Amino acid sequence: MNLVKAVTLRGVQAKEVDVEVEIAGGLFSISIVGLPDASVREAKERVRAALKNSGVSLRGRIAVNLAPADMPKEGSMMDLPIAVSLAIRSRSITLDRPAIFIGELALDGRIRPVRGAISAAVLAKEQRLPLYAPVENSPQIGLVPEVEAYQVETLGQILSHLESGIPLPQVPPYKVEDLPLSVDPDWSDIRGQAMAKRALEIAAAGHHNVLMVGAPGSGKTMLARALRGILPPLSDGEILENLMVKGLLDSDDRPDRRPPFRVVHHTASTVSICGGGTALRPGEISLAHRGVLFLDEFTEFRRDLVEALRQPLEDGSIVVSRSSGTVTYPSRVLLVLAANPCPCGWWGDAVEPCRCSPSDLERYRRRLAGPVMDRIDLQVSVSRLSPEELVGLSSSHGESSSKVRERVSMARERQRARWSFGGWGCNSEVPEKTLRKHLNLSSEGKKTLLQMAEGFRLSARGMGRVLRVARTISDLAGDDGVSSSAVMEALAYRGEI
Amino acid sequence: MEPEHLKKGKMGEDMACRYLAGLGWPVLARNVRFRRGELDVISKDCDEMVVVEVRYRSVGILVPPEASVGPKKLRKLVLAGSAYMDRIGWSGFWRIDLIAITDRDGRISLEHYRDITGGDVSF
Repeated sequence: MNLVKAVTLRGVQAKEVDVEVEIAGGLFSISIVGLPDASVREAKERVRAALKNSGVSLRGRIAVNLAPADMPKEGSMMDLPIAVSLAIRSRSITLDRPAIFIGELALDGRIRPVRGAISAAVLAKEQRLPLYAPVENSPQIGLVPEVEAYQVETLGQILSHLESGIPLPQVPPYKVEDLPLSVDPDWSDIRGQAMAKRALEIAAAGHHNVLMVGAPGSGKTMLARALRGILPPLSDGEILENLMVKGLLDSDDRPDRRPPFRVVHHTASTVSICGGGTALRPGEISLAHRGVLFLDEFTEFRRDLVEALRQPLEDGSIVVSRSSGTVTYPSRVLLVLAANPCPCGWWGDAVEPCRCSPSDLERYRRRLAGPVMDRIDLQVSVSRLSPEELVGLSSSHGESSSKVRERVSMARERQRARWSFGGWGCNSEVPEKTLRKHLNLSSEGKKTLLQMAEGFRLSARGMGRVLRVARTISDLAGDDGVSSSAVMEALAYRGEI
Repeated sequence: MEPEHLKKGKMGEDMACRYLAGLGWPVLARNVRFRRGELDVISKDCDEMVVVEVRYRSVGILVPPEASVGPKKLRKLVLAGSAYMDRIGWSGFWRIDLIAITDRDGRISLEHYRDITGGDVSF
């Protein structure tokens, strides 16, 4: 029976691989079969040197088979299982039960951290198998509850453990610190911009996608950065979800309670944002899972890229299909867009005159409309600060991030309690029909909406969005019903610039 | 009378054999000839057969002895080695070692390289 198991990654999922070894007489050679990629094929050089430096010399013609044979294997994390099964074979060590091994080998026998350690740990837990993993990966593996995992530093250590039962340290459960010191701008650092700050607070509370429109230098980017600080800290489960994706690219990510914040430049390719490539790597939208995806200068983004965002925003997950396979990545992000109001940037500015022609404006506006705009619940204009505000004469700095974060967390709590029957976390995730049914719109609110619907010429979809935002505004206020003032405020963020 | 370089080669092989005896490895055969090459010494390290290639150089020759074994020579050694193992019916492990001997005006130094093909049997 084959007892040494490796894993290979398929998206965020780790797949079990059996490592079989055959040693025959003859001149020394190693051949690895079972669709290895280049990094797996190169394993033989590392494996041989590492084994030699751990006191095992290899001889004869060696065949390593990675089963199932038709599944492509990738990554240097195969080094350790190959080395272990070779050592077991040539030293006739017996394993008493199957185990999963992950790790890249250094030539001197040290074990280096690998990508995808969390995915391997999740697999080990599901299969109830022990996992032997590099010590540097311990913080990530320690996040997975109830996994039997051992941390190893060298190949020699693991061999003496298997041979003579010298115990190895278990991976300790990893306790994520509550919230590290934030390097982002604090909420109180932002002068003025009361309307934009309020809109972002609502966005954070209800997980509503938001568009900020404003002149250059008015502070859109700073506001977006500060938004991260008022989002509620990630739960253990959310950290795990996010790190599973991030762990596919990095081997030494430390778990962090701060929601991810990813900025994408408008020259980015569709693959870098949505994921893909032959290795089916996750894109920015998946790396920002449970956090903020910020697209600055939104109007400069290519049309097809923006269209590609629509489906993942809708579904909260993205299916990446290539000829090499299909994987699904999570993509529940808070989308924050920033744009200038017109090509020259000064349209609607109090001081600077706008120099755009009407046709320029028309073309620009058309770029701001479109399918993704259907997923934007809040639009807010960010105006330039007055000289008094800039110099700091009106020194009303307002609340700190932590204070706002508390309020946002409370509003999230209320939403979670209300929507727990459907498993939704925030107002933005709830289907329209369900939202309307459990909205609890007050009679004055209804009256206001009726009046305004005519004046604003609200469409059915527009109405739905107003109700959604109004629900979040009431949640922020701690209100069970939706009052007429909440409806009024929600209408203000409907934005037709 | 033998030519000088053959005499020196024979001297090197004798030295190598004395060295192997010091290691406790038996010398099973010397100068095994094949159509396309020759194996200098056949020895045995525990349960592993060893084909020993001996290189003898006097100092002053620019190329050091260990550098004088190139891919072409290696390929020949692998082929001849396989043929030898077939001839004697050996199905166990075997490898190719290099013993490089340098003569610095009488001061002899000997270097032993184990397993010079190192798994790189792509010929």
